[in-house]
Amino acid sequence: MSRIAVGISGGVDSAVAASLLLEQGYDVEAIFMKNWEDDSEYCTVEQDYKDALQVCDLLKIPLRSVNFSKEYWEKVFQYFLEEYKSGRTPNPDIMCNSEIKFKEFLNYAIDLGAEKIATGHYVRKDLINGETVLLKGLDSKKDQSYFLHTLNQKQLKHSLFPVGALSKSQVRKYAEKKGFQNFNKKDSVGICFIGERNFKDFLKEYIPAKPGNIVSETGNVIGEHDGLMFHTIGQRKGLGIGGGKSRIPGAWYVLEKDLIHNELIVGQGIDHPALYKKTINASNIHWINNRKPNTNKLGAKIRYRGKDSICTIDELTNDHIKIVFEKPQFGIADGQSVVFYNDDICLGGAIITSSC
Amino acid sequence: MHYFDHSATTPINLEVLELINKVQKINYANPSSLHSAGKKAKTIIEESRRRVANAINAEPDQIFFTSGGTESNNHVLWSMLSHHNAHVITDVIEHPAILKVLEYLKTFGLNYSLIKVNSKGRIDLKELEEKITKKTCLISVMLANNEIGTIQPIREIIDLMISKDILMHTDAVQCLGKMKVDVKELRVDFLSLSSHKFYGPKGVGILYVKNRSTIKSLILGGSQEGGLRGGTENVASIAGAGLAAELSVKYLKENSKKLDMLKLFFINELKLIFPNIIINGDSSNSLPGLASISFPGFRSDILLAKLDRVNIAVSNGAACGSGNVKPSSILSAIGIDEKTNLSTLRFSFGTTNTIVEIKKLLEELKLILNNK
Repeated sequence: MSRIAVGISGGVDSAVAASLLLEQGYDVEAIFMKNWEDDSEYCTVEQDYKDALQVCDLLKIPLRSVNFSKEYWEKVFQYFLEEYKSGRTPNPDIMCNSEIKFKEFLNYAIDLGAEKIATGHYVRKDLINGETVLLKGLDSKKDQSYFLHTLNQKQLKHSLFPVGALSKSQVRKYAEKKGFQNFNKKDSVGICFIGERNFKDFLKEYIPAKPGNIVSETGNVIGEHDGLMFHTIGQRKGLGIGGGKSRIPGAWYVLEKDLIHNELIVGQGIDHPALYKKTINASNIHWINNRKPNTNKLGAKIRYRGKDSICTIDELTNDHIKIVFEKPQFGIADGQSVVFYNDDICLGGAIITSSC
Repeated sequence: MHYFDHSATTPINLEVLELINKVQKINYANPSSLHSAGKKAKTIIEESRRRVANAINAEPDQIFFTSGGTESNNHVLWSMLSHHNAHVITDVIEHPAILKVLEYLKTFGLNYSLIKVNSKGRIDLKELEEKITKKTCLISVMLANNEIGTIQPIREIIDLMISKDILMHTDAVQCLGKMKVDVKELRVDFLSLSSHKFYGPKGVGILYVKNRSTIKSLILGGSQEGGLRGGTENVASIAGAGLAAELSVKYLKENSKKLDMLKLFFINELKLIFPNIIINGDSSNSLPGLASISFPGFRSDILLAKLDRVNIAVSNGAACGSGNVKPSSILSAIGIDEKTNLSTLRFSFGTTNTIVEIKKLLEELKLILNNK
């Protein structure tokens, strides 16, 4: 049977993925990727590696290690910093998938003599009319297609997603039954290289924070912010201007970031009209099957775990897409991805450049 | 398994294992106890101490048992804190059990200087001489390097500092059983050894101390090891370490000859398969049985994995806690570029390896290198 290289993280999903492939008769090897050099207390890599070791020992499969921290630094982290410097909200996990896991790691696995790679992502794939399609994971709460929408045909053909048809609770139950010590391990949240540490403190180490004014939409200065990069459109907390205590009732929300004047424009109430926009312009368009969709009406997500909302493609060139949603969308952040769906099929996506 | 990673650790000698098991079973008494069983355990430790002393031409009261090479190195370095404004000189290709310790001790006020090595891994004696200051209390230079095998000119260093009040330490962890380790010839003040590198058990190290007054205790507690290292002794393993040291020296000549022969055969044959290989280190002055070889155009982690699939164990770079490999700082220090660095494997042969095994290794390497 053909050899599969499973990207094993120490978490329960990839552990179960490896085990399922083994049951299906594949020749399975596990590969532990290290993408970040950090010996600090925040870094869980040692524990992750121990968990991976325990699983591989139980399954009697070899565990190999590879270090992509240089590639990660150059291709993912630099992008991450540049985006923040430009006032946008990047998505390093999406970049990590396209540049590291499904590029560097895939090439590495093939060099190692593997036919395909496998990961613990909650997505599925199918073959329709000779094309490989990416499907949402069956567990709608865990579906990770949003993060994988930049994959191409070659990458998809060489990838397996063994847990995509399972729910998270099924995965945990399976792992417990198998005796994996990580069966109950907490899901990793947030950006992997930041881990548990304070996001602001982390970012400040790399980008100087420029404090400025917080301004209401009418132009009144109502407070001070510690740096625009710490704030995202639609964000409520952390403005330090105590919404409830001010004259007009209602919490304050970030409406806009004025990079030129280094001002954070805020407005009150979650229903504030400026927080809801119907039109998105986006670039860096990618279609998984390499073709524009044959319908203009699509489902779209503007954030992970968001709902699919119906939208229409208004303009579409090679490097620009304009879409209009049926209903206004809350808190659209530049730099995030808009991902398109046709029901369960993930078609691709683009990076948001503006909204109105 | 075909095991070619003896610089990482060696398989235990069966005679040594037998002794350990026997002592573990029978002589379980505490060597500090005053009953006969305790005294017997104490006797076993002292017998082992004599064996180690004989192996390196020291006196028994100059031998102290520790938990390993790392502890022995730590012991010497920490002890330097008792010198006012201490300054230590070492070189850039030392083991982390020297370099990391010094980095940490800096926070306690200890200063240190690092000297360079040349492309063969040999330290720069001139630079060393220049770095010596009035505050220099210790020079620590390994006897032979763990990755490239280069042997350092310890006696020449000592000649340099003659008439100076400077102590000399050498980390000889890689050396016992592969080359002559004679403390009187070397004239060092301190020397570190690790039992599992010479077919003894893990968890036992040795620290040779020429003059007891030059060192302080590191682990305080009971009065074991002359008060230098508290804690109930690991009697069985200490017994094993003593026997292993004795056997290493007893068979030194034939073993080192064999290791040299295996290495030469391997390198010569490998050159025929893959003429592009680069052999790192100092071919005229290095440990027998150790070959650091770069395979330009290949990734060492892939080569290692492919050899592992056919049950051949070798090593690459400096492995860390999460099993990952970074470019080796030792190879960088001898001027090897990053790409070549990451294409380097270390083959370290042992006394039980055979020509048949080397042939098998060559055969598998041929398949891997030709099937890029």
